[in-house]
Amino acid sequence: MAAPRHSAMLSISNASTPQSTSSDKTQVQQPQSPAGTSGLRVPSNRKTIYDRHLNRSRNAELSRASFAYLFGEMVSYAQRRVTGIQDLEKRLNEQGYPLGLRLLDLLFYRATSTSSSALSSSSTSSSPPNRPLRILTLLHLIHGPLWRLLFQRSADALEHSVSPDTPNEYMITDNEPLVNTYISVPREMSMLNCAAFVAGIIEGVCDGCGFEAKVSAHNQPTEMWPSRTVFLVRFGDSVMEREKVLERAGVK
Amino acid sequence: MSYYFTILSPTDTPIFNIAFGTSKGGGDGIARFRFPDTAQYMNQFIIHSSLDIVEEAQWTNGGMYLKHVDTYPPAAAYISAFLTPSGARFLLLHQPPQLPSGNASLGSSSLLGASGSTTRTSSSSVAANPTSPQTEEAVRQFMNEIYESYVKSAMSPFYKQGMEIRSPVFRSKVTAAGKKWL
Amino acid sequence: MNSRRVILTVRSNLVSRNDRTRIDKVNAELVTLTYGTIVAQLCQDYDSDYQEVNKQLDKMGYNIGMRLIEDFLAKSGVGRCANFRETADMVAKVGFKIFLNVAPTVTNWTSDNNQFSLIFEDNPLADFVELPDDGRAQDELWFSNILCGVLRGALEMVQMQIEAHFVSDVLRGDDTTEMRVSLVRYIEDEMPPEEE
Repeated sequence: MAAPRHSAMLSISNASTPQSTSSDKTQVQQPQSPAGTSGLRVPSNRKTIYDRHLNRSRNAELSRASFAYLFGEMVSYAQRRVTGIQDLEKRLNEQGYPLGLRLLDLLFYRATSTSSSALSSSSTSSSPPNRPLRILTLLHLIHGPLWRLLFQRSADALEHSVSPDTPNEYMITDNEPLVNTYISVPREMSMLNCAAFVAGIIEGVCDGCGFEAKVSAHNQPTEMWPSRTVFLVRFGDSVMEREKVLERAGVK
Repeated sequence: MSYYFTILSPTDTPIFNIAFGTSKGGGDGIARFRFPDTAQYMNQFIIHSSLDIVEEAQWTNGGMYLKHVDTYPPAAAYISAFLTPSGARFLLLHQPPQLPSGNASLGSSSLLGASGSTTRTSSSSVAANPTSPQTEEAVRQFMNEIYESYVKSAMSPFYKQGMEIRSPVFRSKVTAAGKKWL
Repeated sequence: MNSRRVILTVRSNLVSRNDRTRIDKVNAELVTLTYGTIVAQLCQDYDSDYQEVNKQLDKMGYNIGMRLIEDFLAKSGVGRCANFRETADMVAKVGFKIFLNVAPTVTNWTSDNNQFSLIFEDNPLADFVELPDDGRAQDELWFSNILCGVLRGALEMVQMQIEAHFVSDVLRGDDTTEMRVSLVRYIEDEMPPEEE
């Protein structure tokens, strides 16, 4: 572990400390004159992303149709650049992944900054939320708060594989994924599930929290729920090993 | 008190660094490390050598703010850590001012903060004791404030994990948080 | 390369049909963040050729606009506009309100009433966004360019050929976000235009 760290630690040297007098002209950032020397221009009111409150759009709503059209265009664009269903799903997954990382930070920010925690069901707790350390805590975070942030409701089910061969597999079910509501997939692509985008979001959340995982979306229609989708979460070996250690150590 | 603050990506790449001094008790906000010539290198070295301890604490303590996690006696440096849920680490190195006698030896100080006593004589300000509850609270506030700015950086669709944060506005926010709390 | 056939279609009439029986809203941030990934993906795919990204966004918008108009007419229940000025008001106060929950200001008309500007106080598409600090994006990328295409596609379906482009954007450091819209001509024949 030590070797890569030492090589990484010198990869940037942007800390122009106030006591260092020789100024490096090639550096973009100069701590003494904020907002003046960046390559980015700002409006005359000086408003930047840092001035916008992170909760400003917290409860804002938009037309469902707008999302449907946008998502539809995103899928057709992706489809033009790949061959085959697998590649398409991979691409959608990759597009969702960074969103997972962002949503994770946003969720925790909101949980720490407001009295009514978005992460716990009991509104009485005012202490900051904990990072998930165990698989179940992580999955509950996805099933509940993440789903509520994205879709304004919890997911429909959370299950663990019963097969002794695949203890690392967990399933999150959405009976009616919003992303599939307005997409009609042609018969010859019936295997395709555009919720691969959401699978990517889940994967980003898992990875972000330090639970290396592969997540995929699968069609599991029922008579009542024709677009029912199961998100299969498969954790990596290192995660399963750590889980055992934490279990023994009594970490919750 | 002198501070060196760094944000490391989940793969240990530094994405933001800044050095500053205390603004409390008449401080001028300028960092005066004990080894000015090698401070930049030393600080990064000390911070990186605390990562194993941070990683251990990461899986026993689910909090985002892990408080004071490590001490590096040869430089009288204390490390506090804050973990974002998405895997970035905020690490703050604090170094109390050198005693007039030049006696910086802390012996075999424990990680539990007993070494804080050696600096008691240098100043009565809260920030002078890196492990006092008041300092822990001040650092927590500092970290929380930076977390907010960090989330704002990370929310932009053009920000990719591990990318250096170069915004001067972000830098000024960190400077302001340092001035306010430390 | 694959065929350019768009086989994944949005069931447009389903959108309006469903609205009567269920909530037709989504979290605004889901839309914002999804749009952000689209633009970021385009920038990556086109290697930060922002002119090309603008073009692609406009094209996507055009596809959306052509389908969205039906939905708009169903939802708003409005009839044909008497003139371009009326169209502009309809676009700003009803269209943008329905689909983006904002109402841009219509202003800067030319004397022949064929050109106007839409000034956006708010733009949910651009929430959380900071353009890349690469010395080019702020000069070349129109982050919300999809909106130009939407307008072009939608109005074309109601026999108006227009041209729309952004002239300023707060993301570029401008004080306002302004789109310029010009009427090119009224389309006489009733043949639907070919899809791009």
